[in-house]
Amino acid sequence: MRMKLKKTFSDLLVSPGRTLLVVFALVLGIWGVGTVFVSYFVLANDLNANYQSTNPSQVVFHSNQFEKLNLQQFTEKPEVETAELRDFSLQRIEISPNDWIPLWLYGVEDFEKFKLARIFPETEKRAPDAGTILIERDCKHITKIDVGDSPRVRIDGNMLNVKVSGICFDPAQAPATQDAFIYAYTDKSSYKKMTGLPNNQRLIVRLNNVHSDEDVKKVSDILVKELNTNGITISSVEIPKFNQHPHQWQLDTLIFLVGSIGMLAFIMGAVLVSQLMRSVMASQVRQIGILKAIGGSQYQVFQIYIAMLLLMGFSAGIIAIPLSVASGYAFSYFVAWKLNFNILTTSLPVFVYVMLFAASLLLPVLLSFGIVLKGTSISVRQALADYGISQKVSLREFKFSKRISDSSSFILAIRNSLRNSRRLAVTIMAMALGVAIFSTGFNVRQSLWNLLSNLKSELRYDVQVVLGDQVSREAALRPFSSLQNVKKIEMWNGGRGQIQSNLLSTNKGAGIVVLPYNSELLKLKIINGSWLSSSGELEIVMNQQACDLYNHPAVGSYVILMIGEKNIKGKLVGIAEQFEKPKIYMDIEKYDSLFNPDHLINSLMFVAGDHTYEKVVELKREIEKSIAPTDFKVLYVMSQAERVKIIYDHLNIILTTIVLLSFLVLVVSAIGMASATGINILERTREIGVMRAIGAAPKVIYSLFVMEGMVVSISSILLGLLLAYPLSQLAAIFFGNLMLGKEAILQYAFSPSGFLITLLITLLFGWLASRIPAKSAVQIPTHKALSYE
Amino acid sequence: MTIETNELILSLQDVTKEFLSQERKFTALKNINLFVQKGEYLAITGKSGSGKSTLLNMITGIDHPTSGSIKVRDVTIGQLNESKLAKWRGKNIGIVFQFFQLIPTLTIRENILLAMEFVDVIPNPDRLKRVQDLLTQVGIADQADKMPASLSGGEQQRAAIARALANNPEIIVADEPTGNLDSKTADSINSIFSSLARSGKTVIVVTHERNTALKYHRIVNLVDGEIEVQNSQN
Repeated sequence: MRMKLKKTFSDLLVSPGRTLLVVFALVLGIWGVGTVFVSYFVLANDLNANYQSTNPSQVVFHSNQFEKLNLQQFTEKPEVETAELRDFSLQRIEISPNDWIPLWLYGVEDFEKFKLARIFPETEKRAPDAGTILIERDCKHITKIDVGDSPRVRIDGNMLNVKVSGICFDPAQAPATQDAFIYAYTDKSSYKKMTGLPNNQRLIVRLNNVHSDEDVKKVSDILVKELNTNGITISSVEIPKFNQHPHQWQLDTLIFLVGSIGMLAFIMGAVLVSQLMRSVMASQVRQIGILKAIGGSQYQVFQIYIAMLLLMGFSAGIIAIPLSVASGYAFSYFVAWKLNFNILTTSLPVFVYVMLFAASLLLPVLLSFGIVLKGTSISVRQALADYGISQKVSLREFKFSKRISDSSSFILAIRNSLRNSRRLAVTIMAMALGVAIFSTGFNVRQSLWNLLSNLKSELRYDVQVVLGDQVSREAALRPFSSLQNVKKIEMWNGGRGQIQSNLLSTNKGAGIVVLPYNSELLKLKIINGSWLSSSGELEIVMNQQACDLYNHPAVGSYVILMIGEKNIKGKLVGIAEQFEKPKIYMDIEKYDSLFNPDHLINSLMFVAGDHTYEKVVELKREIEKSIAPTDFKVLYVMSQAERVKIIYDHLNIILTTIVLLSFLVLVVSAIGMASATGINILERTREIGVMRAIGAAPKVIYSLFVMEGMVVSISSILLGLLLAYPLSQLAAIFFGNLMLGKEAILQYAFSPSGFLITLLITLLFGWLASRIPAKSAVQIPTHKALSYE
Repeated sequence: MTIETNELILSLQDVTKEFLSQERKFTALKNINLFVQKGEYLAITGKSGSGKSTLLNMITGIDHPTSGSIKVRDVTIGQLNESKLAKWRGKNIGIVFQFFQLIPTLTIRENILLAMEFVDVIPNPDRLKRVQDLLTQVGIADQADKMPASLSGGEQQRAAIARALANNPEIIVADEPTGNLDSKTADSINSIFSSLARSGKTVIVVTHERNTALKYHRIVNLVDGEIEVQNSQN
């Protein structure tokens, strides 16, 4: 074996612990980056591939005059790739006794031949038998309904038992689990029989030569005009996001999340590798001098240390690449499960492995190139005269340490910490980053806790029943007269927007909520202006999302709202903060006097006598039971307790993961700090000998190094907590969007318990990180320390 | 002891070395003029701080003079860049240090082979035999496969001399080679240097003692960076 390589190997084995630490740091970095790379490669392709496999529609036209349409002629238009008439209506299905959720029911022309918005069979049946439905597979996560079952379906006021004849997969839909929907498909004739609704009111179209939302808009405008010319009036046009799965944004943010964690692991790994390489180079200064003195050129010496890095990179790659592939796929499968699509990329192309391996070899070289270059460029004279780190402390540092304390050992600890200010800065920054991320994890958790408790305190009703039609107050209350555990029922008019109801929503899609101005059941946080009052004019309060929708009108100004054919002019008196879809609130009396002379309502807000979770869920079931025999057209029945619990359950898993991941980052930074302390001690071995020789007891030296570690820890904590503030604000926005949807508002919150935990853990880590190398430092015999080269 | 040839191998002309520190300018060497012949066994003596090691660093190219020139045969050391200088040094000058400075992670044989590998003047097939010959020459042939730490101080210094001879340089420079050894071991190391000089190598030894018992061709005494006396022992 060539001697240079032999030296490389032997040097790696001189300090196996340190070598393992470097490899560990590299594994972390490569694993992080590799996981991102693999999952990005799989996910970036697969969600879109799943979505595109359905041949999704690009525009949907609504009309009750499509019987005049010659579909064949329409599909032959140059702008049209293909088109179909696909029925759709929103119904309700019972997923367990007296537990109902919305059912999105589609009527399909031909299950064998459809070319557009395709679904894929997951069971034997490609098409449902007459009078039966296929249900989308994602519903299996929220219900036990299976093939052969006949769950109850409520269509308007009628109750039907509809048999499930098969399971299908529709990757173009938003995941049922996230919105608690079930998608079902039946043939047109069965659709008509089940719903009593006319067929062919909805035309789905895929266009030729369109490349953006704007293109689709332009072409659909042309088509609407042509259809109008042919006597077909289009009542509304829906344009989904161009060639994009409805939850693509969620996937993007998830990839961003993994990317951030990967990058974080990479940065921490990088810091660790460079710290450790600095340590290696520090211990090799003399040897570098010797190598050069006996004829080694800088390039030859450089080769030895680059070979060392390549060897460590190779070892790290062997460990990290399979881990990256496994975790990249695990994450991809997790996302696919959450977003309901199939992983299609089952094997990775060779170039992915080549890239990962190249990264394993190149990363350590790139991360430490400067350090090795600098280390090997030292002159023979400097190298042979090397006694470790700087012997000098600047006057400024001297004064600084003097100002802080008069304790001589504390002053010494501070001055020693300042001797290599660049290393100190890197160590403090790395540790501070760990502290900041750890603290941010707790703060985001606190923000979500606050959001949940706000939700509880804002919405003080326990169960909400929303009807599709307005009914009289007496009729609305009648079915619930014998209910137990009901303290109060308040009646409102309200909708959640276009999806749930066109009944009480503006033409822009904001839901209108009409309630007594002095209702005790809704206490929103007003961020500008005030809540509704008993003044003479029609007042409105908008939530932030509605405010966005109406281009931020000023509080005090008048806003024209178009509801169906009617125009309402209301004075905007306040803006409310709310985690909800766009909503506009107004007083029920004023609304009724202007537009609702019969005082009809469509929402019943139940307040339970006993608010415990089980009792509220029971009340909801009783309400469903009471509704069952009525002819009410129910849009939804929702209990706040369940809603909050579902949100909490979902968030808790993610929040625990965030805290765990940030803990990992903290551990890595603590290792970095331990290695930096280790380097300091190594470089000062001779100094330790001198201190021992002039009478310093091992205990004094030990406490000196521990104190140095604590100086670094405390500085890191202070900086980390400062950094945590902006980081937590950014993270609150990011995780709010990621977990709760685009409308979410997540306010920065400070977690006192998180602060305390961060403080204790960081101090503990700082103590451990300095204690271990300090302990080994005092074990070196004085004579050895004095003769240390 | 006489010098066999009359061939100039090393010349220092008006060499001055100044060090600048924050407080002051310190002149370590002042207008040194020194001429060394091939095969000469030269001692540089002086008290601590007299400039001995600085002078040695000038000769080996480890450091450069502030003014003046140093020539080894026709090569002016100051004109070589760091990389060429390292290779030139490995080929032409063998250095022996007070603390031996063997690479602790390589065996004695590997330490010598590494020096050969760096300079690459000894053909690859001849290297192992040459290592063995050199170790025999310095009297530690049986220690070839041992790690430096398992050898005594004297044995380590012999190994360091063998390494200095690895590429068959014309000049051997030793910086207090016996300063870390007992007197008996020091005598045996000094006898190796003597025999090297007899065999035609130019040997320059830095020492803080003037041991007149040693058969140097010449003793150069440095006082405060200046050559005070050049004693010829011929």
